[in-house]
Amino acid sequence: MRTVVCIKQVLQLGDEVEFTDDGLDVDPDYLDPALNEWDSFATEEALQLRERLGGEVVVVTCGPKQSEAALRRCLAMGADRAIRVEGAGRDPFSVARALADVVRGESADLVLCGVQSSDAVQAATGTALAELLDLPRAAVITKLDYSGAGTAVVDRELEGGLVDRVEIDTPAVLTIQTGINQPRYANLRAIKQAEQVEIDVRSAAGGGTPAYRIRKMFVPERGEGAEMIDGSPAEIAARIASIVKERLA
Amino acid sequence: MSVLVIAEHLRGQVRDVTRELITAGRELGPVTVAVIGQEPGSLVDAVNLDGVAEIVTVAIAAGEFENDAFQAAVEALIADRKPRVTLLGFTVNSMGYGPAAAVKLGLGFASDVHGVTLEGDAVIATRSFYGSKVSAELDFPGADGVMLLLRPTVWAPAEGAGGATVASLEVAASPSRARHRELMEATASSDVDITQADFLLSIGRGIGDKENVEMFRELAEKMGATLSVSRPLVDAGWMPASRQVGQSGKTVKPTVYLAFGISGAVQHLAGMKTSGTIIAVNTDPEAAIFNVAQYGAKADLFDVAEELEKLY
Amino acid sequence: METRETFAGLSGWQIGLWYALIVISTSIFAWGVLRLVLKYRRGRGSLPGDRLPHRIARTARIVLTHNWIKRRDGVAGLAHAMIFYGFVVLFIGTGILAFQDDFAKPVLGWDFWQGPFYLGYSLFLDVFGAFLIVGVVILAVKRARKPARLDYTRVDGVASRYERWRYQVGDWVFVGSLLFLGVTGFFLEALRIAETDPSFEKWSPVGWVVGQGLIAIGVDGATASAAHFRDWWVHGIAALTFVAAIPFTKAVHMMSAPTSIATRNDMAGKRLVELPPNPKPEEVGYGVVTDLTPAHLLQLDACTKCGKCHEACPAAASGYPLSPRDLVLDLREQSEGTYGIRGWLTVPPLFASDANLLGNPIRPETVWSCMQCMACVEICPVGIEHVPIINNLRRRLVDRGEMDAQLQTTLETIYDSGNSFGEPKRKRGRWAKELEFEIKDARKEPVDVLWFVGDFASLDPRNIRVTQALARILHHAGVDFGILYEGERNAGNDVRRAGEEGLFVDLAESNIEAISACEFDRILTSDPHSFNTLKNEYPALGGSWDVVHHSQFLLELFESGALTPGRQLGRRVTYHDPCTLGRYNGVYDEPRALIAATGCELVEMQRVRDNSFCCGAGGGRIWMSELKDPDAPRPSESRMHEATALDRVSTFVVCCPKDVTMYEDAVKTSGHEGEIEVRELTELVLESLELEAVRVGAAEPDTEADSA
Repeated sequence: MRTVVCIKQVLQLGDEVEFTDDGLDVDPDYLDPALNEWDSFATEEALQLRERLGGEVVVVTCGPKQSEAALRRCLAMGADRAIRVEGAGRDPFSVARALADVVRGESADLVLCGVQSSDAVQAATGTALAELLDLPRAAVITKLDYSGAGTAVVDRELEGGLVDRVEIDTPAVLTIQTGINQPRYANLRAIKQAEQVEIDVRSAAGGGTPAYRIRKMFVPERGEGAEMIDGSPAEIAARIASIVKERLA
Repeated sequence: MSVLVIAEHLRGQVRDVTRELITAGRELGPVTVAVIGQEPGSLVDAVNLDGVAEIVTVAIAAGEFENDAFQAAVEALIADRKPRVTLLGFTVNSMGYGPAAAVKLGLGFASDVHGVTLEGDAVIATRSFYGSKVSAELDFPGADGVMLLLRPTVWAPAEGAGGATVASLEVAASPSRARHRELMEATASSDVDITQADFLLSIGRGIGDKENVEMFRELAEKMGATLSVSRPLVDAGWMPASRQVGQSGKTVKPTVYLAFGISGAVQHLAGMKTSGTIIAVNTDPEAAIFNVAQYGAKADLFDVAEELEKLY
Repeated sequence: METRETFAGLSGWQIGLWYALIVISTSIFAWGVLRLVLKYRRGRGSLPGDRLPHRIARTARIVLTHNWIKRRDGVAGLAHAMIFYGFVVLFIGTGILAFQDDFAKPVLGWDFWQGPFYLGYSLFLDVFGAFLIVGVVILAVKRARKPARLDYTRVDGVASRYERWRYQVGDWVFVGSLLFLGVTGFFLEALRIAETDPSFEKWSPVGWVVGQGLIAIGVDGATASAAHFRDWWVHGIAALTFVAAIPFTKAVHMMSAPTSIATRNDMAGKRLVELPPNPKPEEVGYGVVTDLTPAHLLQLDACTKCGKCHEACPAAASGYPLSPRDLVLDLREQSEGTYGIRGWLTVPPLFASDANLLGNPIRPETVWSCMQCMACVEICPVGIEHVPIINNLRRRLVDRGEMDAQLQTTLETIYDSGNSFGEPKRKRGRWAKELEFEIKDARKEPVDVLWFVGDFASLDPRNIRVTQALARILHHAGVDFGILYEGERNAGNDVRRAGEEGLFVDLAESNIEAISACEFDRILTSDPHSFNTLKNEYPALGGSWDVVHHSQFLLELFESGALTPGRQLGRRVTYHDPCTLGRYNGVYDEPRALIAATGCELVEMQRVRDNSFCCGAGGGRIWMSELKDPDAPRPSESRMHEATALDRVSTFVVCCPKDVTMYEDAVKTSGHEGEIEVRELTELVLESLELEAVRVGAAEPDTEADSA
């Protein structure tokens, strides 16, 4: 049983921001890298499948050299192999094409992605990847029932607290939602030992139209926003209490 | 500039986001609404709203959404009608097929879009990056058509009767590889229904430890509020999903929504921003929730909560 | 001639039998000791044997002065000393006699056991024999009054494999046998004296008095002789049984305790020990009993169940499922049950050799309840290292990912963002930018003092006020200092104590790299946790510098005149010794001197200095979910009750950022709001110097008092 997990190293912005000279991105000095939260759930799900069904877990990412830290985090969690493909654009379709070239060669039973990345929030790469691989797909999965062959039964988490139970042919691509499991801890010993592991680095073939082009990035105008209540906690509490009382009267 | 809106529906009801798509679409050009379903005719009236020029029904075999069926229908619609812009809601269903159709047909694509304008012939979409802290303008050079997934609750739902013509489109049936089996409630409905509450006291990641839930539960009780939570607390197992406010939880509209330690992720805001009066307490002055709240306090949640408790 | 006949009244074959019994008893003893030694050798590594003469001399000093035993219980110290010296003197006395009878006289023809020597010997032995009995009686009476310390009830609610009543019985048998040996010994003497009544035997005063008494009641001559014969064998066999049983009973502490003290690591707990490079999972921490070092295995056997650690432990006192004593005893039972005599007697052994240490009865919650405050290690009279043992159990749990979800999240956060709050790296130096003067970037220019600020002090809003106060004081005193801004990551002290050794090394190495690139004379820290690790643990990883805590540094500034106290504050205050500053590093006096310098009157709490009571945040516990009995007060709340019980004390002074947070919270939750306020030492100094305290974000000018 082979599960391929596509992960992303996301870039997190604090409360200060400066843009690059061309105004098309945030200055990297203001960004801190981390493994995308959804991808740790996807990796954990793959590891649990391996524990039940045996086989191999392969993690793949599309990104620059520094994104290898995210791969090593997954290796430290227990993934068997890691592949990084570099040189692709950053929009979902360019990434999906680069990933597809790698995943095609892996004969995966299941391909797991996170629903979305916390920095771009497109929720598109996984489904685009599925199309390029011509595989059945289901997005926003909170439960996976798979015996290793045939069909799988998955729960899609709809809006409003509803769940859609779906039967899906395999091999398939699934995008994994947070809360599906409890990702295990990757201890530093394992992370350090993962640093010794050779990561397979490939170059993206390129080509194909990007999904979009960024022509400008900026800090949005804030609307008036809330009326801020100042003072000591006691004063704030008193004001809140009076607002509540007035509105509920 | 022709606009194709794909209607989203569930259990025989058209969802609000569809009406929002119509509002967005009619600013760009004549709107065609596509209703894809087993009995699409029954949904026609619900989408015949002011600004809709044409409604196209596509019959499919599946009783509820199936991504292969919708994708085949949308591909056929785009091939037939050749819209400049295809609008979907940024919803769980759309995530399952929208990007697939777009990459296959070579369309421009962007999701979670909260602004769309035209510059001559070019479509300019605005969306956030880096967790809503910055915005970006996107264009789609070289693409014949563009598919946009619009963020729900940004545009007002369209109202008023329209005078749309109704047509139908036949799409060859092909078996779905992911087949709908059943719809279920995620949670037992025995717990309290937060959508019925008049006053919600809502807590988020900012409360820190699981042990602190109790303190806010007590405060809620004293204040006569119902306790609700944001998603992270449900993911961590501290509270049941029935208490979750947000896109994947419940949409609420209480008279008063008092939030402690909630930063205001987009999916959460979507679930509560139409509340009557929103009061937010957070240590981070940049928290997005302050954009939708009427009143805010940048203060320590526990200090304020303690003081509040004394007053009740 | 003043002497007495040894083996009087014994026939030749009986003497032969006696020697045979000695051989048997000694052999059993030797076999028991050998078993123990072999058991210890199964441990990982070897016993420390460096600087052997120094260790031996030091052990001799500690044992002979009873310095460790008499702490916090003078009566027990005195009584034990009486038993100890009684036993030692009697042992030496027997040795002298054996030497005389079995070697000196037959081989060298030298008979010295007579005349004045004999009289002196008799007196000495009698007096010390009496001491022995009096000491035993005192301790027996103490024990009979059922002190809390000797209540063996488990705090973790788990039924022990060995019923605790067996411990009670064992203890009483031990006490009883010592008393029995003492009493039968004296009776032996008395009966002998009653039989022959030589006048010089007044030099054995106790025996002589009892002997006279026996004579008076008609036990003399042949009666006494017969009784003496019986008593001789009773006493003799009892003694030989006692000796043979030493390695298998509580009596073993006579050997294991001094050896434990001799092999003790004085930096145990303060400087934790690194893992081997590239360790395998089974080399990380303690998982099975043979993972323990020989020293730790030995220490388990040195425990006499005195209960001082149990008494001192803040977790045990606050309803956590942890008692250091129970942990040591559980581990000992496992060690004994696998490789000790109990393991040998039962087939199959009570514990398999690969039995997990954690399971039954040691629960993970027990291990996670520890605040790593060192109160147990501090007070243990035999040098047991509970803290490193618990730390090693944690290392294995962490390596296997078996930990509290909140701790896991925090460790991941620390790895990703370098701080426990998840704040972006850029925010670390933000507090400095809010001041009206610039603070040098030590990465870019040389400074005299490199100030390592620490997580809490840099990023927690309440503690930022203290940090800014300290900055203003340093600026006012003209100190040339700088900080590392974003170059600083969490120092790692608590990460290490939580058991994530790999993350500690990662943090330490990156901090060492950042600090090494700077030019400075000394490192200043305002957080005792950072202080401990920078001072004691970074050197082993390549970062060895002169490190000082802000209480020491501020005192230096006062003493050198760079700071002059302005206003005498006149508050009545009490001071809480932080664990990592006090017990870990012996810094008790400087903060007190500072308090005096600000003109405050210090009223000490009951538990001060090395007996300070932990606030509950240490050992990474501040990052973990609650484990204690919900009805029991938190450690910080107990401490607050202790402080508010003092007469008219208005201020609770701390000098650790976590203490600030814990105790301000405790003032409210313990119901003492309004009675007492918490102030950090720096804030008192600031107040006394009359520099305006800065509100975060405001730029207010200094107002300085006229300094003389």
